[in-house]
Amino acid sequence: MNPRHLSIIAKKEFRGLLNERTILLAVLLQLFIAMFSSFLMVGLTSMYDPSSLSKYSRFRYSIGYCGNDSALREYLEKSPDFNVYGMELSPAVASLKERKLAAVIYVPDTAPDAVDPVKITLYTLQNDLQSAIVNVKLRDIFLNYEKDLRTIRGARLTEQPLPLQLPAKRSGGDFYEFVYGLLIPLLVFMPAIIASALVIDLITEEYQHETLETLISTPITFSEMVWGKVLACELLVPVQAGAWLFLLMVNGIAIENVPSILLQVTLTSFLLILLGALTALHYRERTAAQFIFSTALVVVILFTLALPANPLNLLTRLAVGTAGMEQWIVLAGVIGTGALLSVATQHYAEKIGREHHTG
Amino acid sequence: MGAIADITTIARWEVKRTVTQMSRATLPLAIVLFILLILVTGFAAKSGMHLQDGMYEAGVDDPAIARLLASDNRFSVYQLDSEKLMQNRQAFDIVVIQGTVYGSGSERGRSALKTVERDYAKYTNRVFNRQDDLYAAYPLWIDLESVKSELDFLSTQSGQYISGRPRSVAPVPEGEVLTIPTPSPTLAISKEELRAELTRSEAANSQITRYTEMLSSSDSALGTFKTPSQLSPPLPFDSIILIFVFIFPLYFTSQFFMMSIMNERIERKGEVLLSTPVKAGSIITGKALPYLLGMLAISATLTVYLRASLLIMLPLIPVIFFFLANALIIGMVSRSFKELSFISIFFSTVATSYLFFPSIFANVHVISLISPLTLIILTLQGTAYTAGDYLFSTSLFWITSAVLFFVAVTNFKDERLFSESSLIPRILGFIEESMSKKHPFFSTFLLNGFAIPFVFMVQLMCLVLFFNLPMPYSLILLLVFAAGIEELVKSVGIFVLSAQDHTFLTAKNLVFACAATAIGFLTGEKLLLLITLSQITESVFGSILFLSLGVLWLPLLLHFAGVFIVACALKFGGRKWFVPGIFAATVIHCLYNLYFILGWLR
Repeated sequence: MNPRHLSIIAKKEFRGLLNERTILLAVLLQLFIAMFSSFLMVGLTSMYDPSSLSKYSRFRYSIGYCGNDSALREYLEKSPDFNVYGMELSPAVASLKERKLAAVIYVPDTAPDAVDPVKITLYTLQNDLQSAIVNVKLRDIFLNYEKDLRTIRGARLTEQPLPLQLPAKRSGGDFYEFVYGLLIPLLVFMPAIIASALVIDLITEEYQHETLETLISTPITFSEMVWGKVLACELLVPVQAGAWLFLLMVNGIAIENVPSILLQVTLTSFLLILLGALTALHYRERTAAQFIFSTALVVVILFTLALPANPLNLLTRLAVGTAGMEQWIVLAGVIGTGALLSVATQHYAEKIGREHHTG
Repeated sequence: MGAIADITTIARWEVKRTVTQMSRATLPLAIVLFILLILVTGFAAKSGMHLQDGMYEAGVDDPAIARLLASDNRFSVYQLDSEKLMQNRQAFDIVVIQGTVYGSGSERGRSALKTVERDYAKYTNRVFNRQDDLYAAYPLWIDLESVKSELDFLSTQSGQYISGRPRSVAPVPEGEVLTIPTPSPTLAISKEELRAELTRSEAANSQITRYTEMLSSSDSALGTFKTPSQLSPPLPFDSIILIFVFIFPLYFTSQFFMMSIMNERIERKGEVLLSTPVKAGSIITGKALPYLLGMLAISATLTVYLRASLLIMLPLIPVIFFFLANALIIGMVSRSFKELSFISIFFSTVATSYLFFPSIFANVHVISLISPLTLIILTLQGTAYTAGDYLFSTSLFWITSAVLFFVAVTNFKDERLFSESSLIPRILGFIEESMSKKHPFFSTFLLNGFAIPFVFMVQLMCLVLFFNLPMPYSLILLLVFAAGIEELVKSVGIFVLSAQDHTFLTAKNLVFACAATAIGFLTGEKLLLLITLSQITESVFGSILFLSLGVLWLPLLLHFAGVFIVACALKFGGRKWFVPGIFAATVIHCLYNLYFILGWLR
């Protein structure tokens, strides 16, 4: 294996990528997803944690209170989020329709210690962002009232749960798990999947465009050509994954252990790229190779995710900073599998190379 | 008759070629992989997903609580005595000392607290669900009634509402007051049904519900009855996941179509087909037909399998056409496999976002109707939608697919398919081919008219993107982007005409071409507005996107001025002045809009 030959092939592929502006498309894609995921975050946060947006927190929503007086009314009146008006039900609902109220509550005449539950009717506007916010705010008040009622009826319970005193309600932390436990591992891992699909394109292209003969008539051997393409795809991974991490950090998401994350992704992607290369060498035709590879990919990823301490889980733990010694064990496992696959690829490529030379 | 025979022949070839090719090479391995997939799914269902294991570190002094926390894989639990915990509390995200939970101040600590809170709530629910006296455990039930408001998009767009009354006085409705019957004080559902439902929602615990439980109440059999802890906006998460089940096969099948088109172009294999007297339209239809039928069959099977209403297919069909049309164009423009991969990944991401993200707000906001998937969610939920809603969310898909098919048919010939030029010249070439050389002005008119649906799609995309930014920024960004996109699209026709023939841009032709562009653009805009004239157009955002319905000559003048600037830049400065020309036109467009918006605000 001649390193100069490898770099010639890798350079050729990079030139191809640059010429076709495919790199540009990939960058655009990243920006686009980054924009959309932040859209999703802002949208969802404002829906489920309205107080995170200051413009909603100053606001007092008007509530129509109908039916019988109860402890609930006191809670509502004490709350800084609501103005409460005692009203008749029909005009209250009519005002709600005209958006003069944000919600209407009807409370029936059920005693707090009655056998039956207290059933409150809550009228809100359909298809409305404001109702979503009001619901979230009302929920806390209802929960307090439920707790009171539960205490009043406590003697009727046969078993009490283990007591656990949680700190008072605070905002934040809602989407931490979504960002670190789902978004980051998936986004950072995406370049590995793209790179392995790319290596299939690069190899099958030589077959289907019939440029292979020209290529192996040069001093470059067949297996050197394969490894050159693998190298080109492999080099793209840390660059793209790094770009993701950078974009996320620009978005204000702190990520720990960036070098370790890049190392893990780069080595794990090596496995996928070799898997892609083997599939492509076997089929030599893009449709079949991509089809088999993507199905196999689903199987492999699903299987990996079902294992404890898998590489994707490790990305999460590295990003939040709770990864311990086990990261090196996982890394060793990945390197071992990579070495096995490398040997397989080398043998297969050499075998095909001999066929081409004789045939 | 001849065309139909051609189409069926080509469709049959297509099926035969794919089947023989696939079965010979891939079928055995595909079957193996499929069996493996089933096995792995079973394994994963049993062992669970381990993506978030060990995200948090918890220190606990009580073994019972340690067990409670350790049942959640996300926690690494360390059991120490109280004093040691107190000393080392900074090393943990949360510590539990004598039944009290303390979180560290960090973001991770806050998130860990939330997780403990949810786990604990689930645990208490488990205890309460076992109670004989269910109404002592769950003493409060809330019946959610939604009321439809007559004032719609305008006032709800940013979650505001009309106010400005003294606080002490209750509001008085101005309109008619309908008598609302007093709600019954009892639950309409028996205790055992409630218990069954509560137990069911307790059991649902997977990676997915981990997100859904913080986002939504599961759509339970209880209908509108909820306990306070279940009260949160009805995010149709289950339905949204179903959507992926529908979209993914479409994406996969369109990949095959893309590849089949691409294969015709590799090493000029398709030349034989093109040399036959069969028309390009028939070739394309014949090649697309098996994939169309396949997609329809897959969707119908899925629908039947899920026991959903077949009405789901209605909004799905335009989406299928849209995928096919785009696959066709992608197969025709890309020069190499890697280009094909990247463009198709790019397309599918953009299309999925366009379809998927608005539908998250399905029950919350009318903006969600931009996506046909919202209609599917509504159908799954059993909510009715109107024909107007259908037209609004699918018309853009119908029209753009038709236009793309037309462009593909006119360009399905030797010199276009086998040319080696790069992406942007290729696309320009495609547009050039679709324009008639004998009637340049008329085709400029048509080009701009048909560009409108694409412009709308991009602009609606921007609307979605900027929707959640704080108010002045979202308006400003939308203003600039909307204007920029319109100016860019308007100038494409003239750019292509001048690139085709450098002598074309004489003073007279320039004015005519600009006029044709402006009229075409305006006509397209107004025609489409007629179809989709609904909530969106009446909002503040709408007034920027689709300005002024009443007065016609002002927007005509604006469109003319914009494209005239670009055309002049092209004529006197050449190609390198194209981008600055668009920039100048955008600035003028924005100023015009600003003037009218400001006037509107006044």
